[in-house]
Amino acid sequence: MNKNKFNLWNISSVIILLLMLIFIIYPLFLILGKGIFNSETGAFTFSHFIHFFERKFYYITILNSFKVTIVSTILAVIIGLPLAYMLRKIKIFGSRFIQIIVIVSYISPPFIGAYAWIQLLGRSGVITKFINDTFQLNFDGIYGFAGIVLVLTLQSFPLVFIYIMGALKNLDNSLVEAAESLGYSNFQRMTKIIIPLIMPTILASSLLVFMRVIADFGTPMLIGEGYRTMPVLIYQQFLSEVGGDAGFAAAIATIFVIITVTLFLLQRILSRQYSYSMSALKPMQAETLSGTKNILSHIAVYFITFIGILPQLVVIFTSFLETSGGQVYTGRFSLENYKNILFDRDLNAIINTYKMGFYAIIIIIIIGIFISYLTVRKRNLMNSVIDTLSMFPFVIPGSVLGIALVFAFSDEPIFITGTVLIMVIAFVIRRMPYTIRSSTAIISQISPSIEEAAISLGASETKTFYRIIVPMMLPGVLAGAIMSWVTILGELSASIILYSTETQTLAVSIYTEVIRGNFGNASAYSAVLTVTSILSLLIFFKLTGKKEVDL
Amino acid sequence: MSVSVNIDKVVKKFGEDKVIDKLSLDIQKGELFTLLGPSGCGKTTLLRMIIGFHSIDDGQIKIDDKVINHIPVNKRKMGMVFQNYAIFPHMTVEENIAFGLKVNKIGKEEMTERIDNILKTVRIEEHKTKKPENLSGGQQQRIALARALVIHPKVLLMDEPLSNLDAKLRIEMRNAIKNIQQEVGITTVYVTHDQEEALAISDRIAVMNKGIIQQIGKPEEIYSRPANVFVSQFIGTSNIIKGIIKKKEDGLYVHLNDMYAVKMNNLKQDEIVDKQEVLVSVRPQEFIITNEESGIKGKIDSTMFLGLNTHYFVNLDSGERVEVIQDSEEEEILPEGKDINLNIKSKKINIYHADTKETLIKAGGHDEQK
Repeated sequence: MNKNKFNLWNISSVIILLLMLIFIIYPLFLILGKGIFNSETGAFTFSHFIHFFERKFYYITILNSFKVTIVSTILAVIIGLPLAYMLRKIKIFGSRFIQIIVIVSYISPPFIGAYAWIQLLGRSGVITKFINDTFQLNFDGIYGFAGIVLVLTLQSFPLVFIYIMGALKNLDNSLVEAAESLGYSNFQRMTKIIIPLIMPTILASSLLVFMRVIADFGTPMLIGEGYRTMPVLIYQQFLSEVGGDAGFAAAIATIFVIITVTLFLLQRILSRQYSYSMSALKPMQAETLSGTKNILSHIAVYFITFIGILPQLVVIFTSFLETSGGQVYTGRFSLENYKNILFDRDLNAIINTYKMGFYAIIIIIIIGIFISYLTVRKRNLMNSVIDTLSMFPFVIPGSVLGIALVFAFSDEPIFITGTVLIMVIAFVIRRMPYTIRSSTAIISQISPSIEEAAISLGASETKTFYRIIVPMMLPGVLAGAIMSWVTILGELSASIILYSTETQTLAVSIYTEVIRGNFGNASAYSAVLTVTSILSLLIFFKLTGKKEVDL
Repeated sequence: MSVSVNIDKVVKKFGEDKVIDKLSLDIQKGELFTLLGPSGCGKTTLLRMIIGFHSIDDGQIKIDDKVINHIPVNKRKMGMVFQNYAIFPHMTVEENIAFGLKVNKIGKEEMTERIDNILKTVRIEEHKTKKPENLSGGQQQRIALARALVIHPKVLLMDEPLSNLDAKLRIEMRNAIKNIQQEVGITTVYVTHDQEEALAISDRIAVMNKGIIQQIGKPEEIYSRPANVFVSQFIGTSNIIKGIIKKKEDGLYVHLNDMYAVKMNNLKQDEIVDKQEVLVSVRPQEFIITNEESGIKGKIDSTMFLGLNTHYFVNLDSGERVEVIQDSEEEEILPEGKDINLNIKSKKINIYHADTKETLIKAGGHDEQK
């Protein structure tokens, strides 16, 4: 229709593609290059890879990562699936509130969970002390494998829960009733109808959990102690290799990316293979149970929800405890921790987090709207490439992205390491997919004839876009943007590599304070972060009238 | 005010596939012109070429003798009503209608006046400040109509505007559309696959199939004198049975079997040879069930009583199967399995060439009926 080569769409496609090439593709290729070429001679070499697979010290991290991830994923499904089913099937008092609590426990960053569980079950944790005193034991706290699995399971089951809640909502109850009328028992209906229909969702959500858990850096770093996973190894190698040969860190990063890409492709294939389009005319109705069954199911639901939200409660609670020297709790309440972080030192960490987060979210919303519109409505070769590239951040672990950006932008022509800009870029790349996903979903629901109507009434394509499409997309865009925003606040794995004293964030501060043993400050920072996330979410729910977020 | 639309040998290709090939059509000032055909016949494609959502690959479209091929959609000043209404959900009824006026920079006073007038015309004044999500399908369609008309378009285009409505509302809305169109007097192109809707609403109809116009005419012409077998079967119900034309001294006779023939006065004599095989198109109500021995013999296979009339599905001795309609009031209902004889109303039936499937009725044959 419009033969003009230089219209708004082509220009924005070119700009977006260029940005992606410079800030995603180029840094990643640099990593690969550093991994397979000798930095001095420039010769092609597999020596870094051989080095990695020769020593158990290194390659054990792959096994560790997989062990932790597989166990946590399975446990997350075992907890998340029944919880979702119970909430859909049984009338639970306060079920809407429970759903919000589960979402809140999902949005808080995993390393806060790690930190909180150290407070409870660590060497000098409250529960540890109680058990040791009561039973005269010598329990040394939950560190290593068990600790990581505990934290990541509790962090991940909400994701499975939210996905399965969605799938069950779309499951038409007449299918279950049809099976009942054909003589199927309650148990048979569960195994023959419900589970097979939500199987794609179970698979999809567990693969998402898998990807998140395997790439998580903060949890194994804080609670893992000697139990090292791949992101930890990459970080340590990168730090120790700075100034020297970065090739080895790059090689490990490459191996890691190969693993995550494989998983990602597997997920795409599976989700394409097993998907039913369901829309429930008559969704499942929650029923009131009576007697013991009712009490037991309430106890189960409340208990799981409580354990999930426990880290947030612990963090807020301990932030009001007085400490001596910031390390040992005295058992009294005080606002000393807040005084420390708010008045006794500069507010940079807090201001930086909001400021850089705000810049990033603005960029994410603008680019997100364009990417989703272009990839859905202006399908061509260039936009298909953009579509594929926009999925990359799902695949690249934060620590790998961090290293890649350092490699790429520490020298002319683009020297931005240590600046606000590189942090913002990392945030945008890491957290854009949430916004793109929900924007793409909503643009697909807008009928093309809406645009045609506006054009037939005399509006130009550009005007139609700003006046009709953007306002109509906004609810979907914001649903994704809220997830982008909240996860930006808790971004650690790339920030820890990219930050400088000027760009330190809350997440980085929490991490460094915990490492130094300054639990007082750490808890106050964590409380600020947690409360900000919860408030953002609640404001979003209030403004949009929604009860759900797009993950 | 109103304009004529002149479509001259237009071509539309999707890849190698010619969806429309050298189609020509003249739409007169102020008429409601319907493009009617089964899905995939190219009617919507043609409509979208008129408004400009599809480019014109060859030929030209003229509005009052001015070629519009290269005028962009938003400058063509054509109003369009979409199948799914395409109401802007984030705007009120008033804002929806004002949208086209705002982009065309109409002054405040005139805008208010025009909006109030059109709201009155389509009768949705009381919903002015509502959001469309709270309105019914029929009301949304009225908004869509108002929004398209308020910009004073040269031509109004309607793409299956009633197909998302339920049966009762569909009839109500088609009357409303017809009335509003006559009141405004705007040249209108209306696309539908529903033949009953087309007959009810149109000044003239173009029946399309596979990108080709089969017949253009007034609704009654198209119904009673279909130009070919396709049209006769697409518009209403027609039984097609084989026959042979025999030339006799007093004229042409169509033989339906050895015993039964009818004399035809309205055939194109020059195109007919003796003993030519033809297809005879008989509508169910053009059969007469008779006790006379001469006629087409058959056996009633099934009976369907529909109140006003009764439908019989009859297996003819020739192996053909036909549908026959009889007035329920006047005749008693015949049992299934009964042998009957059928005669036909020769003035009503249509005769088609067995190979070309084109009509053999003289032009104006329609008029001879009166």
